Amino acid sequence: MFESSPVLWVLVVPALGAIAIGALGGRGQGIARALAMMAMLLVLALSLRTFFSFDATGDMHCFDFHAAWMPSLGIPFHVGVDGFNIYLLLLGAILFPVVLASSWNAPEMQRPLYLALLLILEASLLGTFLAQNLILFFVFWETVLIPMGILILVFGGQDRYRAAIAFFMYTLAGSVLLLVAVIALGAEAWRQTGSWSFELSVLYNLQLDERKQMFVFVAILLACAVKCPLVPFHSWLLPAYYEAPSSASAIMSGALSKMGALGILKLALPLAPQAAATAGPYVIGLSVISILYGAFLALNQENYKKLVAYSSLSHMGYVVLGIFTFHEASIHGSMLQMLSHAMAGAGLFLLLGKLEEQRVPLDAHGVELATHAPRFAVLLMLFVLTSLALPLTSGFTAEFLVLFGTFLHGLQEWRAGMGAGVLFLALLACLGIVLGAAYMLQFARAILFDKAQGAQPVRDLRLAELLPFAVPLALILWIGIAPAMLMSKVQATVTQLSAPGDATHALARRQREEAHGH
Amino acid sequence: MRWPGASGKKLMATDLLYALLPEHLLFSAVLALMVLEMFRARPGVGNALVIAVLIAGCGVLARQLSQGYAVEVLPGEIVIDRFALVAKLVILGCGLAWALLFSSRSTFKSGLLFCSSLLGALTIMDSAGFISLVLGIEMMSLPAFALIVYGAGANLSAEGAFKYLLLSSVASALLLFGIAFSYGATTTLSLDAFAKLAASGTVEGVGITVLIATGFFLKAAVFPFHAWAPDAYSSTRIHVTAFLASIVKGAVILAFVRILTATLPPAMVAVIATLSIFSIVFGNVAAIRQTSFKRLLAYSSIAHAGYMLFAFVDTTGGRASDLLWYVAIYALTVIIACASFSSLCEDEDEDGPVQSLDGAFQSRPVAAIVFGLAMLSLAGLPPLPGFFAKLFVFKSVVASGYLIPTTIAFVGSFIGVTYYLGLFYRLFAAPRGLRPETSALRQEH
Repeated sequence: MFESSPVLWVLVVPALGAIAIGALGGRGQGIARALAMMAMLLVLALSLRTFFSFDATGDMHCFDFHAAWMPSLGIPFHVGVDGFNIYLLLLGAILFPVVLASSWNAPEMQRPLYLALLLILEASLLGTFLAQNLILFFVFWETVLIPMGILILVFGGQDRYRAAIAFFMYTLAGSVLLLVAVIALGAEAWRQTGSWSFELSVLYNLQLDERKQMFVFVAILLACAVKCPLVPFHSWLLPAYYEAPSSASAIMSGALSKMGALGILKLALPLAPQAAATAGPYVIGLSVISILYGAFLALNQENYKKLVAYSSLSHMGYVVLGIFTFHEASIHGSMLQMLSHAMAGAGLFLLLGKLEEQRVPLDAHGVELATHAPRFAVLLMLFVLTSLALPLTSGFTAEFLVLFGTFLHGLQEWRAGMGAGVLFLALLACLGIVLGAAYMLQFARAILFDKAQGAQPVRDLRLAELLPFAVPLALILWIGIAPAMLMSKVQATVTQLSAPGDATHALARRQREEAHGH
Repeated sequence: MRWPGASGKKLMATDLLYALLPEHLLFSAVLALMVLEMFRARPGVGNALVIAVLIAGCGVLARQLSQGYAVEVLPGEIVIDRFALVAKLVILGCGLAWALLFSSRSTFKSGLLFCSSLLGALTIMDSAGFISLVLGIEMMSLPAFALIVYGAGANLSAEGAFKYLLLSSVASALLLFGIAFSYGATTTLSLDAFAKLAASGTVEGVGITVLIATGFFLKAAVFPFHAWAPDAYSSTRIHVTAFLASIVKGAVILAFVRILTATLPPAMVAVIATLSIFSIVFGNVAAIRQTSFKRLLAYSSIAHAGYMLFAFVDTTGGRASDLLWYVAIYALTVIIACASFSSLCEDEDEDGPVQSLDGAFQSRPVAAIVFGLAMLSLAGLPPLPGFFAKLFVFKSVVASGYLIPTTIAFVGSFIGVTYYLGLFYRLFAAPRGLRPETSALRQEH
């Protein structure tokens, strides 16, 4: 069993870890962290193994776990790895141990409750990424809210109650329509095939008319736009990211926001391809607004944590932008941007968390990191450079591919006489890169070089504290220098997605073949 | 749509005993409790007896289910079929949970009333005719009034119980009125004949259905027939509130499933959909402003009556199984919620405000987690059972083609999340009277 379904163990191990920590309660204070770390490393090992042996062109059934759950409704417990989620599996598996290791001595990590919630969060997050059944996807999608809500509520800052409620209610409101769409799709399957089914492979094959497609598309997009978030559905973002402890903010911006992108890629596009093609330009417009608005807000932030939060809004805009140009390069870019932003954003939040641990005020006070804490300064600068998309970092690869694809797409539309709207938007999005450089460098200057006022100098990071940050940096450089091996893993999926009209047919064909092979 | 297998089997003398064994067991428990009280046995004995009888009843039902047992004990009046067996199992299972969780409050009298009420609920599920149905409903309700007053003690007024009694008799009157008309129209008292009449869509059919349905809506506290519920629920002690909100309400809904096996004419469906949406929205909106847990539970139960009523909109035939799931999950969750609430504010006034939950996670983590999960389950958040209960109901409704009402109902249930979540978050808040400006962990700058 261990051999046949590593994807199941990826979900079971953190859940068991959480139960063990919960059962130990107060007595397990000493070993809780070690236990959580072990569970997370085990998940990492399993995921790495899955990742490297994953071959998008070959047989995928070895990464599938399928067990009967509610057969009369066509809801099996079906999780598996595919081109959509292979990056995200890696992302989630890396992020959690990095967060735990880098904030090992943070006050919240001393509490078993926090660790148990982190593990539950990891299990439900990876479940969302891996689910191959729509109901299962929805169940995991909503489950993520519960541990995250408690994390903010119990361990957050002054205004934590409001932040937790805003986080919970906003994301839940987005999902109301999603659930209606999910059930409607199941009912549609019941009408067309005669039996209930929520399996994605079945739903991809449904024939939906234009109105139904539009409804499904809008419902999914709304849920995902809240999660990502996109302007104007972002107002929960600031309180949640700001009030949560930095380690939780790192997970929220690193992993939770990717759920929205995954939803768009895996549900909205294949289930409602025509609607996606119709609505594409409008969503591109929204994402460009997100990029610019997030950047402008970040430019005007006094508080470092708020600045990073808004930069996250801006960076997620690129992900959505790339998806809706339906160009191969830009979809690759979007997927890489997910990884890149997760590593850079989480890295910045974690480093700010290190400053918070030392009681350093984050309100645009000088810290003089460059003088007092050179190692800290270099590390911070590396993440800053990734964020502003310096060549050789993952930020450059990802954002370049996104913009390149968007530009080509816009050019194509212009030549075809469909107006220069997308071309114009692509140019605007390029402005986002300039703004990104502006706020990130401003942030770096302030935190690295501005004179500290009175407070005692910041202690530099010890070597052991540097170690956890090596992992995201390695991934950043890998994507920045040689992304080809990563990209080959998702090539098949990207090809299917890049032609929205035909994508369904190609996907449907593939899924049919898979179903036959089953 | 009647469950198959109810006919064509010859009645044996042993069937009279075996088919109604759970009822016999409960009845003998009632008698035994009376005798035990006369001899002043210790209360623990009575409670153990009730629990043993309930376990035995569940066991018998499970065995009958696995055998596929079906028999007409009294043709046209008392029929044991699959629905009856499952429904009785649901009722007895919830009763068992109630008896176990509130065992510390059990006395001979409360056990007696509880068992008689359960006996009534079981009779409802067996009935195939109106006589046993009415008998069952009254047998269930009358002990429940007594339980409200008996449980209330000296400090609470009997106003709630009185209101309940009054409105319940109005409901019974409407029900009997409708039954009389139904008999006039069909010259039989069987439920099947009524179902055909209701499905016919004629004027008299609609009129009779409205009379009977109104009686049920009153008993199940569906908007706009809900006014008695908050007073009745809050005027007694919490274990009785749990009983009323879970088992009594669930039995009424299941009785409605039992009589309304037909697919209704479109006009009636529209009325039912409207009423259930109003129930959901009103119940949830009104619950937000409540400060006492029992009143909040009452309004939440109005909303849940709305969800359950929503299942009657379905035309795909999944109604009975959807509602059996819903009632089972809802009733169990309510019982667990009330039990954990009462253990969370043991040393305080249990009629007290929801503020008594503040910071409960610190002092009693296990009970707090159980209570919190029960709240989230009532709110219908996955992966908790409450979500699946709602999913079952709503998937039938959507499959019947009512997409827009479903969307409105979802929005209503989203409103409901606010107050459940409010209660849930209280568990993790700072305890009352000790509310520092920042959390213990993080220093603000």
